[in-house]
Amino acid sequence: MKSSLNTDSKVANSTEGSAKRPPRLHIAYWLGVLPFFVFSGFFLIAPTLVLAFRSIEGPQGGLTLDNYRQLVSPTVLDAYGMSIRISLTTAILGGLIGFLIAWAVSIGGLPQPFRSLTTTFSGVASNFAGVPLAAAFVYTLGRVGVITALFKVFGVNLYRSGFSLYSFMGLSLVYLYFQIPLMVLVILPAIDGLKREWREAAENLGATPVQYWRSVALPVLMPSIMGTMILLFGNSFGAHATAYALTGGLFNLATLLIGQQISGDVLHNPGLGYAVAMGMVIIMAISIFIYSILQRRSERWLR
Amino acid sequence: MAYLTLSNISKQFGDTYAVRDFNLDVEKGEFVSFLGPSGCGKTTTLRMVAGFETPTNGAITLGGAEITDKAPNQRNMGMIFQSYALFPNMTVAQNIGFGLRVRKLSKSEIDDRVKEMVSLVNLEKHVDKYPYQLSGGQQQRVSLARALAIRPDVLLLDEPLSALDAKIRVSLRAQIREIQKRLGITAIFVTHDQEEALSISDRIVVMYDGNVEQVGTPFDIYNFPQTPFVANFVGSLNTAAAEVVDPEKGLLTMDDVQLVSAAKMDGLRKGDKVRIAIRPERFSFASDGKKANVLDCQIENITFLGSVVRVHILIGKTKFTMDTFNYPSLALPQIGDRNQVTCSKEAVLVLNEENSNGQGPKG
Amino acid sequence: MSTSTASSIAVKTSTVKALASKNRFWSGVIFLVGALYFLVPLATTFYWSLRAQKDVLGFEAYRRLFADNNFLPAFSQSIANAIAAILISLLIIVPTAYWVTLRLPKLRPVIEFITLLPFVIPAVVLVFGLIRLYSRPPLLWTATYSSSRVLLVCVYAAISFPYVFRSVDNGLRAMDVRGLTEAAQSLGASWGTILFQVIFPNLRTALLSGALLTFAIVIGELTIALYMAQHTLGPYMADLTRSKVYEPSAMAIVAFAITWAALGIIQFVGRGQQAQIAGGH
Repeated sequence: MKSSLNTDSKVANSTEGSAKRPPRLHIAYWLGVLPFFVFSGFFLIAPTLVLAFRSIEGPQGGLTLDNYRQLVSPTVLDAYGMSIRISLTTAILGGLIGFLIAWAVSIGGLPQPFRSLTTTFSGVASNFAGVPLAAAFVYTLGRVGVITALFKVFGVNLYRSGFSLYSFMGLSLVYLYFQIPLMVLVILPAIDGLKREWREAAENLGATPVQYWRSVALPVLMPSIMGTMILLFGNSFGAHATAYALTGGLFNLATLLIGQQISGDVLHNPGLGYAVAMGMVIIMAISIFIYSILQRRSERWLR
Repeated sequence: MAYLTLSNISKQFGDTYAVRDFNLDVEKGEFVSFLGPSGCGKTTTLRMVAGFETPTNGAITLGGAEITDKAPNQRNMGMIFQSYALFPNMTVAQNIGFGLRVRKLSKSEIDDRVKEMVSLVNLEKHVDKYPYQLSGGQQQRVSLARALAIRPDVLLLDEPLSALDAKIRVSLRAQIREIQKRLGITAIFVTHDQEEALSISDRIVVMYDGNVEQVGTPFDIYNFPQTPFVANFVGSLNTAAAEVVDPEKGLLTMDDVQLVSAAKMDGLRKGDKVRIAIRPERFSFASDGKKANVLDCQIENITFLGSVVRVHILIGKTKFTMDTFNYPSLALPQIGDRNQVTCSKEAVLVLNEENSNGQGPKG
Repeated sequence: MSTSTASSIAVKTSTVKALASKNRFWSGVIFLVGALYFLVPLATTFYWSLRAQKDVLGFEAYRRLFADNNFLPAFSQSIANAIAAILISLLIIVPTAYWVTLRLPKLRPVIEFITLLPFVIPAVVLVFGLIRLYSRPPLLWTATYSSSRVLLVCVYAAISFPYVFRSVDNGLRAMDVRGLTEAAQSLGASWGTILFQVIFPNLRTALLSGALLTFAIVIGELTIALYMAQHTLGPYMADLTRSKVYEPSAMAIVAFAITWAALGIIQFVGRGQQAQIAGGH
């Protein structure tokens, strides 16, 4: 890098005529990236730091971990527990179904148009989350939804049998609408990365397709699949808008709990509110961290 | 009966023929190369032998049994790919043992065979490494060991050296040939590099645009090319337009310069237009009176290529290149000199482009 | 050839071909089931949106939606916010990506880390922090609706950084930015000329991609707008769900159509640009 800088200053000297001292150029570069850091600082980092500091602040102003200790209160545990349950379920189910769909439109043998259609639709569906998605499912599986009515025609009363759109099952079902497409979009390039020659070499050496998948393809894809499932977990864990729109914000979910805390101190303890928020950040950070490690590993094999 | 036969093999993709009417008998233990430019059908033919493509027409037999429609994982052939195709999630040892695990050999048998293969390709120090930790040449050697581990009936190599550095290419092709000879395995080698094909093959199949141009030993292919394409593709060649003067005596005229050729000119009559071809190394300055052709020329340029000196000469109105071996006491003419070059009548090849059926002295 | 060989070969042939069609069969089944899951909610929503008028299939719901007094203001606020966020984001990210690629490669890990932040900090947590931070002097930026709106737009821009950066970064990589810059410099161009006559024109697709992705994020955003008491499309749609029966379905279909259009444009334009670069070589 040093040599390139020297060349650059030489070039700059020749094009700008007068001799400009290198420090001036350095400043110009830093000026170019300054707005980025300023923006990120003010609107991403600072708000988080505020929460972080307030979460370890005691009522009298000293530093304490009390707020975190109180995270094990029933309300918080319930909310976190439900969030984790939904996130695990949609991560695993979304991962599996998304993988199968991605397989079907790539190696599975469906013609090309199916694949472009799937990728475009996946892009749209993963952005459809929030109010429109919640509304669509209410119209479909709500108490007077079209499919609910259809089931009644066949004599099955969904809601009386225990199903409810406004429950763990219902929410998971709705979340899958943006989880599955996310999996499809991320795993397709990985499946493309499976070199055709690997399958041919395996076949040539006598392996059946099943043996090839078990010994080569799945192991090679595993870091990608696991990593993306973890991404899905994080995605679900931090989702707010869809759940809010579906339940009016009155369901016991970690993000909804934080939302309630913003509107008013429902936890009767501001410090705890910050801890709940930071707890979420910590869980998200861990999942992104694991995801990037697995991503790097899969890149090494799929390059 | 030949060990591996391809009879009337053709392959169509839609309306285009990738391979047309391919016939070949390969003996056991023979090393055959498919040589040709990109798109000539050589890889497609190899893949049909491997079972990754099904011929549109024709049959393939191995040891007397027809295998045309057999699944690729039932053919017991070892394939080496241009991109090595090593399984990235397995070590060298695991890669080599893959075919054996599939065949459900016992662990001790697998270990022994893997060890044998590893020492065959000299990779003892790398057995536990992963492909991404190896160089291209090392990866290709693992690929070779993996294919040989299953004791294949035929070894198929699809441009295995094209992705490697020049020096490694030369040493590895010699290693491949040496191992093949030692084990007596029948091999088919696809390449676009004529030097490669010439140096290691028992026979070469030259292909162009889906057709077989010529089948023969390297010596035959080089010295007696049967079609203009083969003459041009294999080795360098001077060609020029000429007219037949006397087909029986082998006399031709090119730019008012008389040439004598030993080529059989059946079917040609006085006045027919043909193309003649002379290899650069067949010219010499020596005037020992034994050569049939003594031609006046003008020296246009001299290029020094290391072991060879390339002289650009003008005979009549046509430019020719002449290659002569370099040695310290070589007395070269000056640029601009008028001089004389000689070549034998066997050196003058006659290529009748209309029939695509050029003839050399031995036909 | 004996018949036994022929029949065993026939079996093997059918095995090879049967496998390919077996795969295709299951792919078809998987695709069908998936399509059902994804299309049924859209279909039922569309169906509902046509039933606003009793016993008649018509676009009454859409009419009512667009006639609603609160719809147009909310919609136009969202559009304006989106455009502002896009402009800010592009103006910040393009120079940043350019300098990092060309002159400050050591900063790349830092920048890539920062662009991960919007994933690590969920929207609801972010707005929590924003409100707590900017509701007190000296940074009292949530005092008025307008100042909150400015804050909102800035936050949207920051949230779009990951997508815009990746888009621009890919675009710079595809155009061999170092080569082009050095060629321009050797021909005597100043930085301004380089940026505006060489870099920006070749980034058109990347910029469009980034802009449309930002648009998709901003247009329907709920969480942050809600807790900052902004009257944008997100909170409006949420209100609609609680107060009206048919209009929300029309709203959902319109939202879907807008997102589809935005992403469709990206795909369409993206393809053309790639073909252009390939042709140039």
